[in-house]
Amino acid sequence: MPPSDLPEAATERLGHGAWSSALSVPDFASTLALGLEPVGFVQGYCVMQWSWYQQGTTAPFLGGYGQPVANAGSYSEVYRCPHGMVSAEHRTFGYNWEQDWLETSWAQGWGLAYQRMMEEAEASGAHGVIGVLDAAAPLAGSSTIEYSIRGTAVVVPDSPRPSRIFSTFLSGARLAKLIEAGYTPVSVVAAMSSVQMIGYCITRYQMSGQANMGWLGSVAGVSSIAQVGKAQSAARHLARAKVRAQLGSDSLHGAHLDQSTREFGEGDMAIQCVIKGTRVRRFKDFNPLPHPTTVVPLR
Amino acid sequence: MADEEIGETEVATDEEAAHPFFEGAQLPPDAARRLAELEDRPGHKGMFTSDLSVNEFLLIKEVGFHPVGFVMGSSIYHLGIQTRRWSQSQELAKLTEAMYNARELAMNRMDAEALELGADGVVGVRLDVNYYEWGSDTAEFIAVGTAVKAEDGKSYRNNQGKPFTSDLSGQDFWTLLQTGHVPLGLVMGTCVYHIAHRSLGQTVRSAGQNIELPNFTQALYEARELAMTRMQDEANELGATGIVGVRLEEKTHMWGDHTIEFLSLGTAVVKTEGEHQIPVPQTIISLDG
Amino acid sequence: MTDELRQAMAALGAGAPHASSTNPGATSDLSIDEALLLHSIGWEPVDLVFGVGWWSIPWGAFQTWQAGEVTAASDAFGGAMREASEQLRHESARAGGAGVVGVEIDISVHSHHVDVTLTGTAVRRIGEKPSGDEFLSDLSARDFSLLIRAGWMPRGLVAGASFVIAPRRSARQWAAQKGQNVELPNLTEALYLARERAMDSMQQMGLGLHADGVVNVKLREGPLGHNPRIIQFVAVGTAVKLADSGHRSVEPMMVVPLDDPVLAFEAASLRAKPGS
Repeated sequence: MPPSDLPEAATERLGHGAWSSALSVPDFASTLALGLEPVGFVQGYCVMQWSWYQQGTTAPFLGGYGQPVANAGSYSEVYRCPHGMVSAEHRTFGYNWEQDWLETSWAQGWGLAYQRMMEEAEASGAHGVIGVLDAAAPLAGSSTIEYSIRGTAVVVPDSPRPSRIFSTFLSGARLAKLIEAGYTPVSVVAAMSSVQMIGYCITRYQMSGQANMGWLGSVAGVSSIAQVGKAQSAARHLARAKVRAQLGSDSLHGAHLDQSTREFGEGDMAIQCVIKGTRVRRFKDFNPLPHPTTVVPLR
Repeated sequence: MADEEIGETEVATDEEAAHPFFEGAQLPPDAARRLAELEDRPGHKGMFTSDLSVNEFLLIKEVGFHPVGFVMGSSIYHLGIQTRRWSQSQELAKLTEAMYNARELAMNRMDAEALELGADGVVGVRLDVNYYEWGSDTAEFIAVGTAVKAEDGKSYRNNQGKPFTSDLSGQDFWTLLQTGHVPLGLVMGTCVYHIAHRSLGQTVRSAGQNIELPNFTQALYEARELAMTRMQDEANELGATGIVGVRLEEKTHMWGDHTIEFLSLGTAVVKTEGEHQIPVPQTIISLDG
Repeated sequence: MTDELRQAMAALGAGAPHASSTNPGATSDLSIDEALLLHSIGWEPVDLVFGVGWWSIPWGAFQTWQAGEVTAASDAFGGAMREASEQLRHESARAGGAGVVGVEIDISVHSHHVDVTLTGTAVRRIGEKPSGDEFLSDLSARDFSLLIRAGWMPRGLVAGASFVIAPRRSARQWAAQKGQNVELPNLTEALYLARERAMDSMQQMGLGLHADGVVNVKLREGPLGHNPRIIQFVAVGTAVKLADSGHRSVEPMMVVPLDDPVLAFEAASLRAKPGS
């Protein structure tokens, strides 16, 4: 068993008595029918400090005005104004960049909570954890985030324990169908990406509808706001690349994408994307499903 | 910031507990009268009431049970504020006890109504908390459900001689019985926890570093584990083999951000004798939307 | 089932997927039901794909007292939709998909910009290299598989939008109509026309795709959040075409379901009504 930092209460609870399961009754029934037995409700938590601004960086422009942003991740773009010096408020440069220190913090918090849940599962002698639920929410005040991950630990009776136990967001009939279809769940995976955008003059004009007003000349009428489009796409692509990096040669099943955009000031925004799903591995030929019967329910 | 006591010390009380209205296991007279009307007696044809849908009703009949009546229990509780230390994370044992007792009382009164009807169990139990404008710091805990009776004359009461209770819907009840399990009782565990405020110094020192705050992690982790353990202890007392449909709810009620009730709920079940085979379900596509 | 489970557990130790795996590294947001249904018609998911379009609306388009349609806004909508769709097709082609199913359409219209985000799963016939001409569809994989079974093929997403500033009534009109229940013909006409125009631009897109029809049209209409005097109409659907083999019946069977949606419960509903 790996070194554990589980609370004493957890070790106690998992030790004896009736099993508990967070599965609904239909899921419970199909889990049993599949040949899995629940051994316990397992959980892991991690509270992290959360701040949008990195220590020591009062401005992102450390590399100098017009230079790519210092300590950005793999994605960084600079947009240059076509006008030359107009006024002091004129945004001569625009920046899109990946905030990888936020991504790292998220990955750490989520990862620790996940690891703790898996330790509980290991401690209860499970083969895997099914029906995983995860959440990240501010806790009693805004500068903290609590990552929580829960699931139901299960065993496969009379079967040796795999070297690494599995986890999956699926449970019940869906899990049974996944296995019947020839996939074994490997683990839940999740990744977060964060892209910050500081708009340059054109983006700011476009976002405030002033792109066709007189002296600009280069943009008129409706037009594509290229900088925002790039930032929005980049955030999604980064999150997709991060989950894909966790897949090896396996596949991601049931991916779920959550995106949130925080606008602060005209033409500036922070975009966050989370993609999560179950990493699955094909272990046999696909069992073709017979054509399902189409039915019309009479209600 | 120095440790400072916030809030006043008050003990939570059940305002009705000592009232003659509730003495012994007696039901309130109105409830007894309503339930008596439902029963078959010489010269009086009874009937059942239930909040089951037609589908649920048919499925409950399918597994050999008959609804006997809609039952409920309630308890109005005064929930005071327990002394909390500003910078300390701790369980508020008195509040925990109050929250637990209030629900327990409501459930017991519901059980008493079910017993009055000669029921074997109560399905579709829902627990709720209601706050009223007229009572500050008072909350009404309500338990409602449909009492059912086995048609084969066998008793399905649990090892405490009480009707089983469960928060399962009619569909879930049917499904559970197909798996060879029977419900024993709705089990719960609760833990009211105060989460420490962070001092200004702490906040400033760690500003701009997104690091783990291990004390917070540990405190909340422990609170949830305590609630789960208490629920599991209840199940063990009933001689259960397991608990299905466990939920972990977090409620702040009216105590502000830093005091949270962790409530875990589930239905304790026991495996019955004999092998059960669940038939392979047919794959279908519904064309109604 | 238990045999399969043991096989599955054994595979956890293996480093690589089974040899029959045709698309390692595939990423999809399909449910297992959808993946199975897709497989039952001989298709497989390949990748999660995105398309984003942000278009600006010039100042003055919405900021006017004049009643009538705001064409700059519908142009911006058209541009954003086109840009996002092109990206989606492009990503699908790069991932080796024949098209995208289950496209989730997120449209939001602001004072000075319209943004459209499309998210879906690129799919293809198992192991088959697609020939280009990617289709897009907001139909779920379930609907897609039913459609294919019946001999139809989606062609593309079609959409149209129009935005109207409701006419103001003059003080005299207002005084004359006050307290009367009369039709407001100006308003009726403005909304009627806007609705027709949104539907028409959607239809034009469908005709451009040589479709036989458009299914699953969803019409979103109502006042815009940032200005209640502006009324938006957005119509989105999937253009479909009948394959050469013609229509086939899916032979539905009648059943009586015994499941209910879960009912929410409020203790307040038990409380006696005031005065009773």
